Amino acid sequence: MTAVGTATSSAGAHAPALARLRRALGGRRFVPYYYLAPMVVLLGLFTYWPFVHTVYLSLTEWNLRPDTPLEFVGAANFAEITGNRLFQDALRNTLIYIAGSIPLKVLLPIPIAVFLWSLGPGGQVYRSVIFLPTLLSFVVVSVVFLWLLNPIGGHAQQFFALFGLSFPNVLGQPTAALWTILLISTWKIIGFNTLLYIAGLASINRDYIEAMRIDGAGDWAVLRHLIWPLLTPTTFFVLIATVIFSIQQVFTPIDIMTEGGPANGTTNLFYMVYQYAFVVFNVGYGAAGTVMLFVLLLAVTLIKVRLLDRHVHYDQ
Amino acid sequence: MRLSAPWRVVGHTILLALCLSVLVPLLIAVGTAFKPSNEVYSILPWPTAPTLDNFVRIFTDTPFAIYTWNSVGTTGLRVAGQLLFAVLTAYAFARWDFPGRELLFALVLGAMMIPHQLTMIPIYILVAELQWFDTWRALIIPNLAMPFGVFLLRQHFRSFPKEIFDAAEIDGAGHWRALWLVVLPNLRPALAALTIILFIDTWNEYFWPLLVTDTPESRTIQVGIRQFLEEDFDDYGALMAGLTLASLPALAIFFFFQRQVMDTFVASGIKG
Repeated sequence: MTAVGTATSSAGAHAPALARLRRALGGRRFVPYYYLAPMVVLLGLFTYWPFVHTVYLSLTEWNLRPDTPLEFVGAANFAEITGNRLFQDALRNTLIYIAGSIPLKVLLPIPIAVFLWSLGPGGQVYRSVIFLPTLLSFVVVSVVFLWLLNPIGGHAQQFFALFGLSFPNVLGQPTAALWTILLISTWKIIGFNTLLYIAGLASINRDYIEAMRIDGAGDWAVLRHLIWPLLTPTTFFVLIATVIFSIQQVFTPIDIMTEGGPANGTTNLFYMVYQYAFVVFNVGYGAAGTVMLFVLLLAVTLIKVRLLDRHVHYDQ
Repeated sequence: MRLSAPWRVVGHTILLALCLSVLVPLLIAVGTAFKPSNEVYSILPWPTAPTLDNFVRIFTDTPFAIYTWNSVGTTGLRVAGQLLFAVLTAYAFARWDFPGRELLFALVLGAMMIPHQLTMIPIYILVAELQWFDTWRALIIPNLAMPFGVFLLRQHFRSFPKEIFDAAEIDGAGHWRALWLVVLPNLRPALAALTIILFIDTWNEYFWPLLVTDTPESRTIQVGIRQFLEEDFDDYGALMAGLTLASLPALAIFFFFQRQVMDTFVASGIKG
């Protein structure tokens, strides 16, 4: 309140100066900047500055406590992390998550989409059902599966018991746990990716297909020589989106279902960063891990934004 | 295009299997939410004596009501803010040519290439220094800028005839009134689509709330659910009731605006 009061009284004293200022700032040429100001300030404060600051923090050592000083250590964090077992496991798992996602989340939806597209409007119920997991939070999905897979009394175990079989404790073994998370993340995204392909297919002119049919082409020929080539841009887009998804979004099932274990079996680079920065409070390690993750993500994201731009253009 | 009969059989079989794999886990979860406690571990997916007890207990035995309020409040305020700032930004870019336009535009869209996860540590430190930790402010303010919204709205502004601005001007409407009276009504479908995406995304968000909340006072539903696991909460009936309630808003929107929701998600490709 004091500040406002002062401003008012000084405005009275320097009325001509203030009027000049108001004229200058109220001029039409400043108008666009007023509209942009909130966004620019927010992005500066919460995107660009933190981004640069992360790079700086990656060269320091600090435990997040205000009373301990931050120490500049240069590139030591990078050397120490990469020599670390956790990093090597996380990097290996990240690559497995990506590699496993390609057949499951990128290729598998293609035949599903082609089939749904061939049904026309008749496939609406299928589409709605497979879209459902997209709407659910990954927390909900992870908890449901955690409970279904519970080795004691979970539905999977009970179902197997009906046939006298015992259901393995899939989350208790590193490789099985990783593939379980991979399959659950497939469950979550496959419907969405299928819809992306259907959107890509919708732009294919059906006259071409008729023409090929008249020339005696079978299903396979149409698929191979017409649909697949026209679907290539969509496939590439889905691939990029899926890679980003596989790096970022599996954080939630990892955190809820295994916390990176057993024996680092399910952790990935992003989860490693989280643990360094916010579980053991090693800011330098966390930031250094983030910078390495950034290099990986930047390449992928750059391509994605390019494609997104083109993708939306096609729609119009 | 019609596929030949054998392919159609294969297709329907695969799709039915896929739909079952989606529906069975969800039905078991929802079914359990309505089970009395002595049936929770029964293999039957549905209750033999349905009850609402679980829904009562999740509210009486846990801070679920506060979690819900936090989710509703922070999601509402955050989405409103994101929409407002995205509209202002997209409007300025669509309407005027001004020095620095290209640079600022690159700055805004460039931010889309910096995922949240890469900026979290400094923002976390900033939030702690500002004493925002464990408050609604921490959940809302760092997330108000949504370059993706600007990107999407720009696509719609492009199809806007420039004359519409001039016409509003001639009618004596300033740029501010023109925005609210002429531009926004014409953007309604795009804004509705954007709102749906932002709402579902924010409502389901897990990572950021996990970092900056610490007590029930500010925990959102998603983080609250994790807290149940953390505390070895073993009332699975109530837990499933909580999951059902947490999923209800997004499913309700989907139920009423099925086509729009699916089209919007696809058009944006934001998921992922």
